[in-house]
Amino acid sequence: MNVVAVQTPRKVQRSLVLLVPAVLFGLLVTLQWRTQAERSELSVRYNAPLIDAASALQKEQNELKTQLAQLRARLDEIQRNASSQSGAAKELQLQLDELKASAGLTPESGDGVVVQLDDARNVSVSSRDIDKSICHATDLTDIINTAWKGGAQAIAVNDERLVNSSSVYCVGSTIMVNGTLMSPPFNIAAIGPQNSLLGAYDDPNQLQDIKQRRDVQGLGFHVSRASAIHVPAFSGALNVRYAEPH
Amino acid sequence: MRTNRGAIWASIIALFLGFAAVTQVHSQDVFSRSLNLETPSSLTTLIANLSETNNELRNEIFDVRRAVSDAQNSVSSGQGTLTEAERQVAQLRVFSAQSAVAGPGIAVRIDGSFDERALSDLVNELRNAGAEAIAVNDMRVGPKSYFTGAADRSIAVDGRPLRGPWMVRAIGSPDVVYVAMTRTGGIIGQFELIYRTTRFAVTKETALDLPAQVAAAR
Repeated sequence: MNVVAVQTPRKVQRSLVLLVPAVLFGLLVTLQWRTQAERSELSVRYNAPLIDAASALQKEQNELKTQLAQLRARLDEIQRNASSQSGAAKELQLQLDELKASAGLTPESGDGVVVQLDDARNVSVSSRDIDKSICHATDLTDIINTAWKGGAQAIAVNDERLVNSSSVYCVGSTIMVNGTLMSPPFNIAAIGPQNSLLGAYDDPNQLQDIKQRRDVQGLGFHVSRASAIHVPAFSGALNVRYAEPH
Repeated sequence: MRTNRGAIWASIIALFLGFAAVTQVHSQDVFSRSLNLETPSSLTTLIANLSETNNELRNEIFDVRRAVSDAQNSVSSGQGTLTEAERQVAQLRVFSAQSAVAGPGIAVRIDGSFDERALSDLVNELRNAGAEAIAVNDMRVGPKSYFTGAADRSIAVDGRPLRGPWMVRAIGSPDVVYVAMTRTGGIIGQFELIYRTTRFAVTKETALDLPAQVAAAR
């Protein structure tokens, strides 16, 4: 805008006249470009109330998770205060702390790797190849499996901590992790031994399909060393209803 | 000349602004952007999934809220919170595969050629269907379990090779997990198309006994 500001008033006026149509033109070009990728209006018409319902449920879920986290913290505080009274209680509290950490109920930080996975962007792919240029749930499960294999101690996908009940679920082209809606790009943060993790991802026998799609269709796949990664605590429900310990 | 140059600059900036405005509008809600591409039937499935997750969260909130008030009461009556801590320890040991467990569920018998990625996908699908504890043959699957292929067509779980036929057992609601595996277009149906000579048998089980996870061999 500096360039416009130094013009004489008359010239500024002339430029301003151009400004409005140019903004409109920019809007149009972009809208056109964006809508081409989307479905026809007809199917969108039936979808609108369903999309609203899904968005409302996801919003509600975020609130429920916050509420649960607060209650868990409150319970933890009461137990911690009470456990200072006896030796047996102290012992039990230690055991509980260890279990919470190994179950993924405590946040973790440390060095590790971050894997970025994204749909191919700004690359013209033929419609035949579209399927290969976008991220799938199975790409995520393969990337996660490789991280555990590489010795990861804690993993989060877009800030959803992976625990024993975690699953990656795919409906149409939408992906859910821990029952939470997600869309690309995906950031898979894995805390663990960096060399071993990088070695697992560099192994040419691993993730062959993803690497080939990165090279040919422009799928976004990038592994990098990262220090002081923060992985949040699991904020979902611990469903134990059918399994009885024995 | 100068006017033209100014106009060109203004146009470029305006084009950029227009682009930025639209991008801004679109990026306000990342979910609805991708949801726009879904069919009504996919959306209905997503909604069912979200509702289920939210119901589980509500149940857990109810339980933890009660645990908080119980703990407060027992502290004020001078009893301490040992019972609640013991209950949590037991629950977390089951949740993180550290104790052996019993319960109803399903069993999937896989006889024929199969591979580690498919096994990993099957475990993912079982978890998604609400399985609370899973074992492959006699290896309990834990939070950090990983699957690798081995030379003799065996599949390793946490570095320990397991030979087929594989028996994958999962504790959870037998009806829910069974339907999730065997529905039309479900994972077993897909496997049957990919591994044509392999036999997949899914059965509901009233009493399964799964061992605790053993330390991963690295």
